[in-house]
Amino acid sequence: MAEQVIRPDLDFVKGVIAAGGDTLKRCYQCATCSVVCNVTPDNNPFPRKEMVWAQWGLKEKFIGNPDVWLCHQCNDCTAYCPRGAKPGEVLGAIRKQTIAQYSSPKFLVNIVNDRKYLPLLFIIPALILALAANFDIPSGKIVFTNMFPVHTIQIIFIPALAFGVIVGLLGIKKFWQDMKQRYGCPDCTTTNLKNSVIEALKEILPHSKFKNCGVNKDRYTSHLLVFYSFVSLAIATSFGVLYIDILGKHSPFRFGYGTPVKLFGLIGAIGLLIGIILMIKNRYANAPKVGLGSYFDWLLIGIISVIAASGILSWLTRLAGIAILAYPIYFIHLVFVFSLFVYLPFSKLAHLFYRTTAMVFNKYSGRDRAQAEG
Amino acid sequence: MEKKIGVYICKGCGIADAVEVEKLVEVAEKEYKVPVCKTHDILCSPEGLDLIKGDIKGEGVNAVLIVACSPRAKHQEFSFNGTVVERANIRELVAWTQPPKEEETQALAEDYVRMGIVRTQNSDLPEPYLLEQPSKDILVIGGGITGMTSALGVADAGYKVYLVEKGDELGGWASRLHKQLPQRYPFEDLEEPTVKATIERVRSHSNIEVFTSSEIDKISGFPGQFEVEIKTADGLQKRIAGAIVLAAGFRPYDANKLEHLGYGKSPDVITNLQMEEIASKGRITRPSDGREVKRVAFIQCAGSRDPNHLPYCSSYCCLTSLKQASYVRRLNPDAMAYIIYKDMRTPGQYELFYKKMQDDPGVMLTKGEVTGVDVSGGSLYVSVKDTLLGGDVKIEADLVVLAVGMEPNTKVEPEELAKWKKIYDEQLAASGGKPDPNAPLEPHKVPNILKLQYRQGPELPVLDEAYGYTDSNYICFQYETRRTGIYAAGSVRQPMNMLQCIEDAMGAAMKAIQCVEAVANGYSVHPRAWDQTYPEVNLQKCTSCKRCTEECPFGAIDEDEKGTPYHKMTRCRRCGTCLGACPERVINFKDFNINMIASMLKNVDVPEEGLRLVGLACENDAYPALDAAAIRREKLPPIRFVPVRCLGNLNLAWIADALSKGIDGVILLGCKFGENYQCHFVRGSELAKERLGKLQETLGRLMLEPERVELVQLSISDYDKLPQILDDYVEKMEEFEPNPFKEF
Repeated sequence: MAEQVIRPDLDFVKGVIAAGGDTLKRCYQCATCSVVCNVTPDNNPFPRKEMVWAQWGLKEKFIGNPDVWLCHQCNDCTAYCPRGAKPGEVLGAIRKQTIAQYSSPKFLVNIVNDRKYLPLLFIIPALILALAANFDIPSGKIVFTNMFPVHTIQIIFIPALAFGVIVGLLGIKKFWQDMKQRYGCPDCTTTNLKNSVIEALKEILPHSKFKNCGVNKDRYTSHLLVFYSFVSLAIATSFGVLYIDILGKHSPFRFGYGTPVKLFGLIGAIGLLIGIILMIKNRYANAPKVGLGSYFDWLLIGIISVIAASGILSWLTRLAGIAILAYPIYFIHLVFVFSLFVYLPFSKLAHLFYRTTAMVFNKYSGRDRAQAEG
Repeated sequence: MEKKIGVYICKGCGIADAVEVEKLVEVAEKEYKVPVCKTHDILCSPEGLDLIKGDIKGEGVNAVLIVACSPRAKHQEFSFNGTVVERANIRELVAWTQPPKEEETQALAEDYVRMGIVRTQNSDLPEPYLLEQPSKDILVIGGGITGMTSALGVADAGYKVYLVEKGDELGGWASRLHKQLPQRYPFEDLEEPTVKATIERVRSHSNIEVFTSSEIDKISGFPGQFEVEIKTADGLQKRIAGAIVLAAGFRPYDANKLEHLGYGKSPDVITNLQMEEIASKGRITRPSDGREVKRVAFIQCAGSRDPNHLPYCSSYCCLTSLKQASYVRRLNPDAMAYIIYKDMRTPGQYELFYKKMQDDPGVMLTKGEVTGVDVSGGSLYVSVKDTLLGGDVKIEADLVVLAVGMEPNTKVEPEELAKWKKIYDEQLAASGGKPDPNAPLEPHKVPNILKLQYRQGPELPVLDEAYGYTDSNYICFQYETRRTGIYAAGSVRQPMNMLQCIEDAMGAAMKAIQCVEAVANGYSVHPRAWDQTYPEVNLQKCTSCKRCTEECPFGAIDEDEKGTPYHKMTRCRRCGTCLGACPERVINFKDFNINMIASMLKNVDVPEEGLRLVGLACENDAYPALDAAAIRREKLPPIRFVPVRCLGNLNLAWIADALSKGIDGVILLGCKFGENYQCHFVRGSELAKERLGKLQETLGRLMLEPERVELVQLSISDYDKLPQILDDYVEKMEEFEPNPFKEF
């Protein structure tokens, strides 16, 4: 192998440090992290090598690097690191850099990543929604369509989600090409790709990787709950889209609580709230060992928490007939849902694009077999 | 003075449970007619001590035998001013290690009483050896940070110092630093060099006389009276000093030998010392084109830990590179420092500085082995294999700093030695004379720094494995050298950083003060720092055989024109190697002599049936190991042990006496010898081994198996192995027929 020339990039180092990897430089390469990690392959394991690459600012090592995404941030490495270098958090920071690198427009990358833009992050969606809202609400029974008619919602939220998804897809396309360029894909076929997707889903749907975590094993439950609650909410929303937009009927939600659509909605809402509370609880419980996490983590936790809480509160206040609370809470709920959609490829939620893609690529390219066999 | 002996037997600590104390009293009173013999339940208690003191005062007892615990215990309690005190150890060596109330156990205890009484009979109070006009001034050689710190330590304590520096300024390497490493907690931020203030303090100190641009011309004499001749710019100066601190420092390893690391290929490959000079200018620029650098690669272990260069770790280079990485980062926040190491070694609290520097985003570290440095297109490329980065890499840099290690100034380069050898060989060939045993064929026989007028050579001995560092690393006495009163400090002793040097300098200063005080009061120095006895020679019987002069490890014995030996007593460490060497048995100490040990061995009761074994145990390691085994309540075979100052005391007369008395075997417990010797007196057990070699023939003539006398090398930490060692020996002795001399 030809010798590679090392040209460190100081800005990359500073970027990782600023992104929550402030302990990066403490690593002295003992490789305890790679030994205790339960999700890393046996051969050429992470995160030891990623730590030294990041310390040296070797940013090209992180272009098309699936390994940083195979990490599930169990933080076993962080708990056992003798030097307090927190490899789990550093890899999280590196992933954030990857997300930033593959997503555009860049100004959105910047405002999502920077704590000082936090107010702006929600004021802009609030202004957009305020412009579209009807604040001349008749008194009497609380009906949220009084404030936002169904079509207003559709006009705003469908493009928002589409934007998020398209940016995300463009990102993973670039990511895929980079991975392919870096590692090659000698025996890649379409059948193989299909099988790889199935294999990846077989790991993702039952959250089997999460079960391997040590210190953070409780996250299996909370992440599973949040994940399936979102699925459940997505199903409920899809019913709405089916009835209103495809079948041209009235909203299915007025059919009452016994109907599947209502059940999916309610279960999803309550599951999401419980899931996110468990997640926060776990973070605090593990904080002595691994720390509380970065701004980037908490931004997503915050958005999801507000969505879950405001969703349930708007429902309860509506039932209780407290219009003065119900409408503002609903407004807040929509602001945060909008944020979730728009920031999807920029926030930590983007992991659903990149981690899935990395897992598929690893199987597709045969890297995972090679890593396992050595 | 007529000796009146009092024997005091303690019953405490399990002694009375193991032996019949009354029978011990009988031995003393009936066999030896000791005028006073008393027992006490707890002899070391105030009442017990009062009993003894009462007898000293009232009964006129002037020699006391304490039959109780090991001589290593309760020393303070059992000290009575003006009275000879000897000990018989029946606590550790009997009560704690033998089966209680058995015939063998009782016999062992009785033998210890017999030997103790004989020992007391042969022991006298010391009369200290005093010099007429001992000097308490101290000579410090080397005006670097170590020498100056030593000088200040000594001078602040009120002693006069002569500080000799070869260069024209004080300060040494320390004065060439841009910044210095932190010297106190939290060990994080670099400090402005403090060397200027230290120089100032030395210069203005009324107790320090400084000689710069000066070298030692020669040193003769001995502790308390070293005659020092200093070659100065103004001619020869003579001073008398009581002790010497050698702080001659180090020289950086010659970078010209590091071509494989690019030195000489480009002016931009520099040493860490050059880096200090560059950084002092406030901007780090390249020597080649004066351009400010952004990428500085530090190559660690440049010449160190390399079998082709310096095989050892130079100890300071990792820290220096971290310090210089800090220069790079402070002087230009956009610049980066890359450190390529074998292992980062930051001794002591400096781990904190390492952590601090590691946290800097622009300081990059990797383990790796540098295979070469190339110059191409204005950049330098450091090729590194086995990196943590993965694979073989080339690191692009603007400047490469070689972290060169250190060599002690005490080291004589092989080329230098070869030069001396050539001259000597030519002279020898021309004169046709006999070879000179003191020819400059070994490093310490080549005049270099001290230029001692000693028959053992002008410099301090160096072990092969010490790579030119003075042989001063006695496990227990790190500043001691093999020349009494000369203390090595700083990087002539081992590679060290400035903070370690400062600590070391103070240690050596205190040892030097201890030495001049000990000499002035007639005490020995380390390890027998309490000892006021000294070897006394009955010259009338001396045959001038020179064995003592040759075997004395400290050069304390010389001979006059007629070949008669005389002691330079303050060089003597009272080990008694001479006592063992002397075939005429004319060298003795007041409380330790040939006749004493011979009589002790001859007084062991040898029954017609059954094995009788004796052992001589070195007081420094073997005897404490026996005590330690006893504290662990190990079972030991009933060998009669006699403590000796050093196994170098072994006089063949003792073995002959023991065996002719019918004793079946003698085991000798001494220290490890050879390259990594652990003997406080350098060659004690080794000399004992040599002497035993001469005994073999005699034993054969007496129809005795030579294996009956066995020498075991052990260290104090081998106490757990002792029971096995002794059992094995006993088993071997049981296979032999009983000593035929028993019948006589």
